[in-house]
Amino acid sequence: MWAATGGLVAIRRFESGTDMSLIQQVFGSSPFHPLVEHASKVDECVQLLNPLIEAAVTDDHDELLRLHDQVSKLEYEADQIKHRIREQLPRRFFLPVSREDLDRFLHCQDNIADGVEDFAVILLIRKTHVHEKLVPGFREIVDQVLQVASTMYQASTALIELAETSFEGAESTRILELISNLGEEEWKSDRLQRKLSQKVYDMESELDPVTISFYEKMQRALGQIADAAENTGDMLRAMIVKG
Amino acid sequence: MDGTWLLLSVPAVLGFYMAWNIGANDVANSMGCAVGSKSITIRNAVIAAAICEFLGAVFVGAHVTDTIRKGIVRPEAVGIAVKEAGDPTEQNAAEAQPAGRPPLTPSAVKLAIGMTCSLLAAAIWLHVASYFGMPVSTTHAIIGAVTGFGLLAFGVDAINWAKMGEIVASWFLSPILGGVIAFVLFKLMVGTILGSQTPARAAIQFAPFLSFVVGFVMTLSILWKGLQHLLQEHRESLPDWLTGDAACLAISAGAGLLAFIGSRAYLRRHLTGHSASSTADQLELVERRFAPLVVITSCCVAFSHGANDVANSVGPLAAVVDIVNTGEVQSQVPVPMWVLSLGGIGIVIGLATYGYRVMATVGEKITALTPSRGIAADTAATIVVLACSRMGLPVSTTHTLVGSILGVGLARGLAGIDLTVTRNIFGGWLITVPIAAILSAVLYLIAMALFV
Repeated sequence: MWAATGGLVAIRRFESGTDMSLIQQVFGSSPFHPLVEHASKVDECVQLLNPLIEAAVTDDHDELLRLHDQVSKLEYEADQIKHRIREQLPRRFFLPVSREDLDRFLHCQDNIADGVEDFAVILLIRKTHVHEKLVPGFREIVDQVLQVASTMYQASTALIELAETSFEGAESTRILELISNLGEEEWKSDRLQRKLSQKVYDMESELDPVTISFYEKMQRALGQIADAAENTGDMLRAMIVKG
Repeated sequence: MDGTWLLLSVPAVLGFYMAWNIGANDVANSMGCAVGSKSITIRNAVIAAAICEFLGAVFVGAHVTDTIRKGIVRPEAVGIAVKEAGDPTEQNAAEAQPAGRPPLTPSAVKLAIGMTCSLLAAAIWLHVASYFGMPVSTTHAIIGAVTGFGLLAFGVDAINWAKMGEIVASWFLSPILGGVIAFVLFKLMVGTILGSQTPARAAIQFAPFLSFVVGFVMTLSILWKGLQHLLQEHRESLPDWLTGDAACLAISAGAGLLAFIGSRAYLRRHLTGHSASSTADQLELVERRFAPLVVITSCCVAFSHGANDVANSVGPLAAVVDIVNTGEVQSQVPVPMWVLSLGGIGIVIGLATYGYRVMATVGEKITALTPSRGIAADTAATIVVLACSRMGLPVSTTHTLVGSILGVGLARGLAGIDLTVTRNIFGGWLITVPIAAILSAVLYLIAMALFV
């Protein structure tokens, strides 16, 4: 009889989901898969840089409108993932990496997408014609920024493998090497910007001041993307090294 | 309906119920690492768990059961208490027994009733605790309950406080030790295999050593404790060298070697020629080939879980059976096989009725686990639990396993470990023993007033 009533309590215990299995309670969900998911969304944004600059060069305003929609949709989705990651990482969770570094990593990676959206907005709010003499310069910068961001994306996607090897050994060495020259690449994009700026001011008599100001804005937005990618790399390095 | 029947059937039902409860709620933990890493289907996990738990309970159970029967409440203290008391109820108690069974001494009656009350108290506390979602251990509840009635019935002196201290220390030590061993094991795995340039090649080279450890520990535990319990009865007919420690070590080393050679051949066959693939692909391959090992280590955990927790839950029952059969409190009597079997069957039925559903949710919930983590945690837990029960210390398998998992986490092996669980476990530790003790003392008072 006792066993029967005991059985009933145990059934309730199971169905109410309060207890069940202790082992099951130990595990929260890993933040690394969603972090990679976030990285992919950001990369989708970054991949729109080329279409954006091409649309700007050809003064294709409709295309710019469409691309901006696409970028801001992707940026929003990245934001959603970011919030989800933060929500599923309550303080009580023990992580293999420093929570602060992880948080900053996420923040920086999100900034990459923000930079792309800024760039799209700048192109959208004013129909700024890109002077043909400046087109190669802009293309160069975009290529360089793309390279920095893509390298970072490659490194981010390795987070799952990094977690699998507990941020040690060959895989972590490979990733540290991969991101080691992000700083230099970012510096290259800075240099390209300076060169372009010089060109812009060399032609200042031919250009109207508002256009010059918008060229500056475009460059700054692109620079911000490379900058954010570099910072993301720094945070990834901190995660790997510090734990 | 005579008294003996009641005296035996009530604790038997309670002991069975405790085992059932373990089967329904705790067994999933022991197979958790294999199920969580998707190395085995739920259905097969249930079958493997049932077999291993049952074998563990029946073969290895006796050691721990002895501790609960005799370790905490000292038999000699109980005996002394009787002689001094010179209880007038002695005559009545003797007359109440049917022919064919020896009469019960008053201290034996006290002990029998007390052990029954302990089972009842532990069962009640388990219900209350699980109602509030507290992860308490069956083992701890039983220890607390036995201590409670022992204190009341036989006085402070009857409690073997040194043993009690050892037991309490082992509750803290077992998760910590599990954690330390798991940490070291996992670090070694990362250092040699997972962190290597070519994980596939490194696995062929180093993983067999891991198999050796698993094979050695597993075989040693079965030989050292389980089979020795069986061999005890046939000791005369067997040569000494077969039952000695050296023989056990040698046989275990042989089994480990066999595991070494077998796994080497297996890994050679499946992992050769993959050194050129990307690191990520190799890691995945290696983890996949670790799956059979995590199934084996999980079975080890289930085995030692059966050995420990089931034996703990039927320990008081064994004491009662012993008392009823001999009429007094003995100090050297083997645990009847049917008592251990009852525990084993209870666990299997618990698993069959509800445990499989718990198992299914474990499989769904744990996603961060890979076989390598499972192997490290399982092996560490098995070593600690079997070492502790070898020393006669009843520890909680689940808590040891949680400690081991945290150890892997500390080695940066796991993402998102919920630390509230450790806090809850700690809370359970602090209150389970006193509450179970008080509960069993109260029940004992009531029972004595009613029946004696």
